[in-house]
Amino acid sequence: MWSLFWLRVAAALYSLGLLQTLLTLFRRGEKLAAPARTAFSLGVVLHFVSLVERGFAIGHLPTTSVYESLSLCAYFLALTHLLIAKWYSFPSLSFVVFPIVFLLTSLASTEIPTAGWADPGLRSAWLNAHILLVTFGYAAIVVTAASAVFYLLQERHLKAKAVGGLFRNLPPLGTLDSLTSKAMAIGFVLITLGFFTGSAWAFVESGSRWLSEPKVHVSLITWLFYLLIMYLRVAAGWRGRRAAFLAVYLLLFSGLTWVSHSGLRPLLER
Amino acid sequence: MKLHLAGLNHKTAPVELREKVAFDAATLEASLNELTRIAGLEEGLILSTCNRVEILVSAEEGANAKQCIETFLESASHVSNGKLAGHLYHHEGKEAIHHLFRVASSLDSMVVGEPQILGQIKAAFTAAKSAGAAGHDLEFLLTRAFSVAKRVRTETEIGSSAVSISFAAVELAREIFGSLKDKKVMLIGAGKMSELAARHLKRSGIGEVLVTNRTRSRAEQMAQVFGGQVVDPDKMLSALPSVDIAITSSGAPHYILTQDNMRPVMAARRNRPMFLIDIAVPRNIEPAVNDLEAVFLYDIDDLGRVVEKNLKGRLSEAKQAEAIIAEEVDKILERIEARKITPLIVKLQEQVEGWRKAELERVRTKLGDLTPQQHEVVDALVRSLANKMLHGPMSELRASVGKPEGEMTAEIVRRIFRLGDS
Repeated sequence: MWSLFWLRVAAALYSLGLLQTLLTLFRRGEKLAAPARTAFSLGVVLHFVSLVERGFAIGHLPTTSVYESLSLCAYFLALTHLLIAKWYSFPSLSFVVFPIVFLLTSLASTEIPTAGWADPGLRSAWLNAHILLVTFGYAAIVVTAASAVFYLLQERHLKAKAVGGLFRNLPPLGTLDSLTSKAMAIGFVLITLGFFTGSAWAFVESGSRWLSEPKVHVSLITWLFYLLIMYLRVAAGWRGRRAAFLAVYLLLFSGLTWVSHSGLRPLLER
Repeated sequence: MKLHLAGLNHKTAPVELREKVAFDAATLEASLNELTRIAGLEEGLILSTCNRVEILVSAEEGANAKQCIETFLESASHVSNGKLAGHLYHHEGKEAIHHLFRVASSLDSMVVGEPQILGQIKAAFTAAKSAGAAGHDLEFLLTRAFSVAKRVRTETEIGSSAVSISFAAVELAREIFGSLKDKKVMLIGAGKMSELAARHLKRSGIGEVLVTNRTRSRAEQMAQVFGGQVVDPDKMLSALPSVDIAITSSGAPHYILTQDNMRPVMAARRNRPMFLIDIAVPRNIEPAVNDLEAVFLYDIDDLGRVVEKNLKGRLSEAKQAEAIIAEEVDKILERIEARKITPLIVKLQEQVEGWRKAELERVRTKLGDLTPQQHEVVDALVRSLANKMLHGPMSELRASVGKPEGEMTAEIVRRIFRLGDS
């Protein structure tokens, strides 16, 4: 089925955009900016080819299955983004659009289950990689939230002008802010990689059933929330107090996700 | 050895006198050599800072060290005879140690708790050592003084409080920004107070200084002092977003910065923290500015409260520090006494060992040929007898160190064992 093939190629091209987003967090995004944009435009073209082929194959607009509508939605989002980029100067928008387009397109390309694992060793290595990435990601989120709480305490103490006492030994506000943003960025990279490796694992493991798992939805929401926070921080310059609150919410979300996944274990030991 | 310390400091002598007495770093070695050449003085150290000149010596018992040091200071400083006398203090023995420990711990400083003095003493000691003026006695004492100062610093908070207004401002800036290295400060109004605060900030490594003032010539003058730039008063608001610390001290009768005109500034800063110091009376910055996110506004009274709190804290910390020093002085005195008793103990051991060997030799000729085994038995017998007899006097000597009966015990042991004078 050629339509699916082109969709997967488009997803692969979109993945460059995700990489670009991650690099932006560490101020290394400039080099990849132009290639990522080209790849994205190319992806949009191939995506269109995929949609047209699908349309001809089934004889009507491809919106009947979840996968088809996901694909269409991703396509329109990508197209809109290209138009906005053409008409307005809004470079930071790609920070969120690239990852979301990649996410939707790759979800749409999971319509037909793969043949399963070629090798049981690969299966467990893949799973371990996913678990390690997510666990380190959680650790980074805990650091982020702790440093955010210290930030809020120190900020309150400086605002109240009650110098000395309990808060004297807290690190300076600037140090805490930079620690929060570094830990948050590292956590985002780890969680993103963990999220996609986990999704890929679940897809290979349980075919098309995996999308209906509630914990998949929980992780998806957490990841989207994380993406939003990073966007607010990078593009809207949210830092300090507001960013610190967001970091604390992020920890709550991640805790929820973790709880929903600890139920995964019995399922894995088959 | 007996320790003497004499000198003058900011409490006993005015700066006009202190600057005459101060030793030049270039000629310090020659002065140290001159000091230790004086008969009766064994080791010496010269501490010369802008707030104090002190001479520490280890002298022979009975030497008139006080007079020696005074003469030395007068001849070294070209101060006419007798002029120095009223300003000098002199401590010996325990008092000298106590004073040294207090100075090293910055309890005797003009700004109590300031950290430079310890480094200055370390430098003075290094100079004395390399000039050959400081030996075992001073090494023993100074090493201890350094660790006492460290103990005071870690166990009390004496070094962490800010005392002056401008110092408090710098401390607060550090609490907000951490390093001040690439931060920018703007002086709005070029008064004396803001100059002082800017000087402090500059010394703490602030990056750039901007000055804005109604009278341009004054702004230029001040900008030159700090290697900064002048900003036109009309362009003050547009320059503000890049500024991290602003100090206002202008004579304007109304608010220069209000919540309304600070809001866009903070937006342009993307809410990076900003520290506003308003030392003008009447105030230059609307108090409501403090309600904006990431703005920390301190007026002169807020800073005053910080200083006051620190002073109070410092008093109680100083009390704690004094207690530590008293404890450490007792400890080192005990160790000095123990050092005194060491030669006597060595002598005692040598005396008994000599007797043991002589007796063994004498008896061996009388007994004739002994088998190695028999020889070993006799040897062991004499040795254990000697050790048993030594045990009592030695532990008595050690136990009486530093106690009133110490000298008497030492004398009795000396007499009983025929040790002569030591």
